[in-house]
Amino acid sequence: MERFIDPCCEECFNSKDNPCEQFIDCCLSGPLCHKSEACAAKRKAIIAKLAHSPGYLKG
Amino acid sequence: MYERHILICAGTGCISSGTREVKQALEKELTKHNLQDKVRIILSGCHGFCEKGPIFIVYPEDIFYCEVKADDIPELVEEYLVKGNIVERLLYKDPATSATVTSHEEIPFYSKQKRQVLRNCGVIDPENIDEYIIRGGYQGLKNALNMEPREIINTVKRSGLRGRGGAGFPTGMKWEFAYHSPGEKKYVVCNADEGDPGAFMDRSVLEGDPHAVLEGLAIAGRAIGSDEAYIYVRAEYPLAVRRLRTAIAQAEEYGLLGDNILNSGINFKINIKEGAGAFVCGEETALLASIEGERGMPRPRPPFPAVKGLWGKPTCINNVETLANIPLILRHGADWYNAVGTEGSKGTKIFALTGKVNNTGLCEVPMGITLREIVFDIGGGIRGGKNYKAVQIGGPSGGCIPESLLDLPVDFDSLTAAGAMMGSGGMVVMDEDTCMVDLARYFLSFTQRESCGKCTPCREGTKRMLEILERITRGKGEPEDIPRLEKLAKVVKDSSLCGLGQTAPNPVLTTMRYFRDEYEAHIFDRRCPAGLCRDLLRYYIDSEVCTGCRACTKVCPAEAISGEKKEPHTIDEAKCISCGACFDRCKFGAVKKK
Repeated sequence: MERFIDPCCEECFNSKDNPCEQFIDCCLSGPLCHKSEACAAKRKAIIAKLAHSPGYLKG
Repeated sequence: MYERHILICAGTGCISSGTREVKQALEKELTKHNLQDKVRIILSGCHGFCEKGPIFIVYPEDIFYCEVKADDIPELVEEYLVKGNIVERLLYKDPATSATVTSHEEIPFYSKQKRQVLRNCGVIDPENIDEYIIRGGYQGLKNALNMEPREIINTVKRSGLRGRGGAGFPTGMKWEFAYHSPGEKKYVVCNADEGDPGAFMDRSVLEGDPHAVLEGLAIAGRAIGSDEAYIYVRAEYPLAVRRLRTAIAQAEEYGLLGDNILNSGINFKINIKEGAGAFVCGEETALLASIEGERGMPRPRPPFPAVKGLWGKPTCINNVETLANIPLILRHGADWYNAVGTEGSKGTKIFALTGKVNNTGLCEVPMGITLREIVFDIGGGIRGGKNYKAVQIGGPSGGCIPESLLDLPVDFDSLTAAGAMMGSGGMVVMDEDTCMVDLARYFLSFTQRESCGKCTPCREGTKRMLEILERITRGKGEPEDIPRLEKLAKVVKDSSLCGLGQTAPNPVLTTMRYFRDEYEAHIFDRRCPAGLCRDLLRYYIDSEVCTGCRACTKVCPAEAISGEKKEPHTIDEAKCISCGACFDRCKFGAVKKK
């Protein structure tokens, strides 16, 4: 999972034909439709790669 | 994981100053030191301090380097990235104390700013939607999709947001009109034409945070019941156009635009229409005509676009900055938003600060801050230690604010009462060497040239006004010119078809209100107090200072200067053509203006 739009695993059903209403929250706090430490770590890795300072995450 | 992130400002201003060359040099040096996988380079949006560009910020330490050139990169990489030694000469230096600062938060230019709309500019890669999402992007849209349209409109109304394009019309009210207009097909339009000379607020938002505008549009669409939007952006902004197209493609890929957004059943599509260089197309009805493929000319109102707009359908038109405020309101709430600002002007405003100030650039300030704070605290005061004279706010449609009103709070109502207007945010500072009559002439020449010609008051009235101003600045003004100008200005203001004509006289009216003495000096004394209007200038040589070096005689094209070597020279006024060559040439300051 290099970008938030990439599925974290086979559980993720989000697609253009079947969009997930929780997609935005799932980017930062997911996975929301299933429990997985590995999937959560993938999202954290994307964030960690881009966040350049403590202030960055405050939005 | 990167050890360091380097943000290089890639707003149009810094690109002109050499950002691309800096980036290339940096890539080369990082490879040379085998750091390419440890250091991330980000071309960010405008950080605002254009005077000191290219801006180069290193994180996580938050070291702010400025005026960085490609030749500086080897030293920066070797000394700072490899050895950890700060390169002092590239830090910002406080002009008053000569002290260097490392963080941008310590720089006076930023200290009084409140960067809300510009929160992502200079902080993220504007071409990476993930960065926008990490910093709270599309939370506003998510919330809006779970609200009824009336709820969204009431939230925007309660926020107190007023249009940032110039007129300051309450945004929630405008949306409400469009919402109530009957019809299945409605449009939302983003006015990104930004025609005011020197203004670049909207350009910076479009280049630095395009998703904020897309999100704002989508929320507006949900509120009024529209499934389609147009962004009318001037073709002179190629970088903004490119970033918008990239952002739209990304948002569509992520399902945040297109069909069934976030499984809400709501569809929303955004199109881009590039303008063709006409100032009048910043006026909403002329803009709509241009989108329709017609000549950009305004239409009589009523009916207003909210009732009958694009292709006769109800249309809501908002400015870029207005739309970029919307995601924040829907994300944080109306109470959060209206906690900033004054009673009648909530939130912040972005200004493009230019002219005779030390710190030119883009700043975002809370409504209610004084002009003095903007010009002297953020702007760093007047260049060259000269005296402040006035600030022109609102571009060619705005007015001048003199020194006596420097403590005026910057908000819609205070500026209108002073005869000026907020406008879109252009702020040109002038010093003692500015001729206010010539300034009025300059702005009027712009609006006159841009007049579409449709209505007689604007087409002919501005032309006649300009002729009078040109006559005055050439030393041929007549006593009746002042009342003539005032009368013409009133007629043009009251009877022009659109905002271009209605506001074109503003620079003339405010300069006549606050600097009438300059008009009178031009007309009655045949004198330009600022020493600018060439036809009113007379040069003379101060015999006490002149050394008789004869340098001035060598450059005089009219052979108007005479004198013996090592004796004071004189200028024959009958022959002098006031070109100023002698003034520029004299090293001793002996040639003076009167």
